[in-house]
Amino acid sequence: MTTVESRVTGAARRSVFDSPGYHRARTALLGGLSVIAVAVLVAWPMITDYYSYNASYYNGLVASAAISAILTISLNLSMGYGGMLSMMHSGLQLAGGYATGHLVVHLSGSWLLGIIASVVVGALVALLVLLVSLRAAYLYFGMITLAANLIVIEIGREWEPVTGGIVGISGIAPGSGGEVMSKEAFYYVVLACLALMYVLQRNLVRSGVGRASMAVRESADTASAMGIAPSGAKLLLFGICGGMAGLSGALYALQLGFINPDVGLLDNGIIFFVGLFLGGISTLVGPVIGVGFIAVLVELIKDQARYTTLVLGLLLLTAMMVIPQGIVGTWKASRFGRDRLPELTDEELPEEVPDVVPEVRDVPEGTAALEGTGIVKHFGGVHALDGVDIRIMPGTVHGIIGPNGSGKSTLVSCLTRYHRIDAGEVRIFGAGAPAAAHGVARAGVTRVFQVPHLFERVSVLDNVLTGMRMQEDYSWLGAVLRSPAYRRRDRKERAEARELLAFAGLAGRADWLASSLSHGQKRLLEVVRAVASRPKVLILDEPATGLTSEELDALGRLCRVLRERGLAVVLIEHNVDFVMGLCDELTVLESGKVIERGDPEKVRGSAAVLEAYLGRPDLVEEEAS
Amino acid sequence: MSPEAIIDGLFAGSVYALVALALTIVFQPTRIMNFAQGEAVILGAAVAYQIVALEKLGWAATLGITLVLAAFMGLLMERMIMLPVRLSGSRYAWIIATLAAALIFQSLFNLTYFDVDALRPSPVIDGGFQLAGVTVEWQEALAIVVALAVMAGYDLFLRRSAYGRAIRATAHNTDTSVLMGIPVQRIIVLSFVIGAMITAIAGMLAAPVIFVAPAAGLLFTIKGFTAAVIGGVGSPRGALAGGMLVGLLDTVVRSMVGGSVGNFAVFAALAVILVVFPSGLFGKPMEAH
Repeated sequence: MTTVESRVTGAARRSVFDSPGYHRARTALLGGLSVIAVAVLVAWPMITDYYSYNASYYNGLVASAAISAILTISLNLSMGYGGMLSMMHSGLQLAGGYATGHLVVHLSGSWLLGIIASVVVGALVALLVLLVSLRAAYLYFGMITLAANLIVIEIGREWEPVTGGIVGISGIAPGSGGEVMSKEAFYYVVLACLALMYVLQRNLVRSGVGRASMAVRESADTASAMGIAPSGAKLLLFGICGGMAGLSGALYALQLGFINPDVGLLDNGIIFFVGLFLGGISTLVGPVIGVGFIAVLVELIKDQARYTTLVLGLLLLTAMMVIPQGIVGTWKASRFGRDRLPELTDEELPEEVPDVVPEVRDVPEGTAALEGTGIVKHFGGVHALDGVDIRIMPGTVHGIIGPNGSGKSTLVSCLTRYHRIDAGEVRIFGAGAPAAAHGVARAGVTRVFQVPHLFERVSVLDNVLTGMRMQEDYSWLGAVLRSPAYRRRDRKERAEARELLAFAGLAGRADWLASSLSHGQKRLLEVVRAVASRPKVLILDEPATGLTSEELDALGRLCRVLRERGLAVVLIEHNVDFVMGLCDELTVLESGKVIERGDPEKVRGSAAVLEAYLGRPDLVEEEAS
Repeated sequence: MSPEAIIDGLFAGSVYALVALALTIVFQPTRIMNFAQGEAVILGAAVAYQIVALEKLGWAATLGITLVLAAFMGLLMERMIMLPVRLSGSRYAWIIATLAAALIFQSLFNLTYFDVDALRPSPVIDGGFQLAGVTVEWQEALAIVVALAVMAGYDLFLRRSAYGRAIRATAHNTDTSVLMGIPVQRIIVLSFVIGAMITAIAGMLAAPVIFVAPAAGLLFTIKGFTAAVIGGVGSPRGALAGGMLVGLLDTVVRSMVGGSVGNFAVFAALAVILVVFPSGLFGKPMEAH
């Protein structure tokens, strides 16, 4: 059969860069290059020893670059994956360096203890700054971190007993007692730390912890709807970043033997920014490649060292214009480096409902799944909601309708605690609703927003996996170490997510970027993502807008399945046919008040509803006569 | 605490207020907090130092050269910052680009004045006068008066002229402004130029009194930002109030406790204000009116 579609995909397949052979060769080549790179790094002291009279200089060069790479990985985690623009990373490095310097030189402690102290100090400083700025908006956060950076430097200059003032601390060596480790041995310590931090970054990003941070980065509201506490996710990630930066500070002090306030200056910090943007932000290997590139560059222009900042600044601006996604990002987007997507096949929608779809049973008779009584919400002088009562029973589809501006979406936001209510009470299965939006989601009430809130830059599968964050019970340490419990959970939820996608007819697109879906598929994916969080109550805010009739059928089917499973589904809709055909019960709002409630038949015949939508029918008749 | 400290504070405050105003001017149409803004302070100070202290040419020439160079710097900044921002599309583009611009200018100043600690020309008017038993230097009085005049002038320009209305419209919504026929691109370029000129004047007036090191640009940016936040980004009056508060806090704490505690006080105040009033002291944040 040669349909138009298959001929098009056939033409695309003819490109060499999409052929399986090319992909195999590319994988082999990149793998080979990585092996060679690692081998060269490991054998570096031997190589320099053989070829150069100045081996320790070249060893130090690579070690310093590796230390910068650790800091850049930390910066990548916070900016690229967590969306937290930190301008205090050089300050965190300085703080870490002081911790090690003070412990090793002033207290003559072991250097290992120094490293631990640095990690702790780095994490604490980062947490403190984040706590202060949690309420601050995105722009302010950058400025606060900048101010914090200056404060760290000022402290370094003034607190002489610990930091040694302007001169700093010198004579920091990786030794304990009388024995001092050789520079060569320490080179391997640095290399091992870099490898560890790379693995930490990779495992963290690919786990639920990383997905939660990504969700918060994209939209704190959406993250809350999936039961992710935005502040908690931010604190965790930034704390880890702080620890990593502290580690790099410790290594810096031990490698160079000194630490002084100038280390924290932003002039030094710019190297990390350039490295990150040149290599590719939000990519795993980008920071390492970028820093390596800069290390080579700085070495090449070392005779003109005073121009370094100028050159780096110009390089940064140029890189932003020419390769905005960095080396790695540009490569991945090019046709040489892009991944092959599986061919789409026509899928049969499975008849069986997968077990992943939650079930709600054993609810005591007469308990409402979600209940609001006397809800009042004013925006300034506008009475958006004026004492609204609503009872949503489990195992029903409940429609909320009303003209534009009648307060439907506001009601949903109040029920799910996105808005603070001025008066009234919200109960979930008879218990008072938690005060925070993510708490409501954890109690089993999930919402899908009116405007699509997908995580566009990650895959369809990752979107669904993010929805499962609430069920993930492993800690971040478990994720980083890939504990057995983590592996089990990860395998299980990936299988479940694919099952759910197959049920919605999106299985073939699981590995696509979410942004490449059509509007209808996006809406469907959002519902799937919400279902993946195993809600007991699912609120859909105008899901049918812009859907084709087939997609409407799929949505209706999903709603019916959820109802059979005992969930309460709340629909806010304008599409009257869709609502009337699907809902068991309706609540009609008008100007912030409930004007009618009951089954579709009752609502259809209600005079108040007709009046709200069409004006007074009696007046209309009068005009007609 | 001496009364002189208050005068010093008001003087420093007027410098910060001018930087805050410039930050606001650039922020309104571009939504960019320009980290390179403080570099124009250094430009003003450097020109004053070069012309007055080294070339001995006097203040009239200084003013003219400063304004011309600052305008040029503004044009350059617009290209250096807006071009990468438009081409990159990254959400961090603005901060990285402004930071890169700041460091580029900073290294240029460092390279030119590598052997100069402080860019310090002699004052425009020597000496001072007595005001209720307090000695006020003429230079300080001049700076305060100029700051007030610039503020008032810009406020008037923003509220009364058609161009000012266009700027305010652009601040609210760039896309709609384009639809209304407002030349947004020209306004953006102009805002960079005006911002750089105002900041350079601040630097020129500050240099004879305040310690201005060639690499101190970022510090002025941050203090100006603090002032803008305290005053609520968007209004010249807020910038004035915020600047004065920052200047007083800095100088008074410095004179009472000494050392660099002044910087602490300012940054700590910034932190406290942002925690207690996430949207600044006076009104809405990041909203321009």
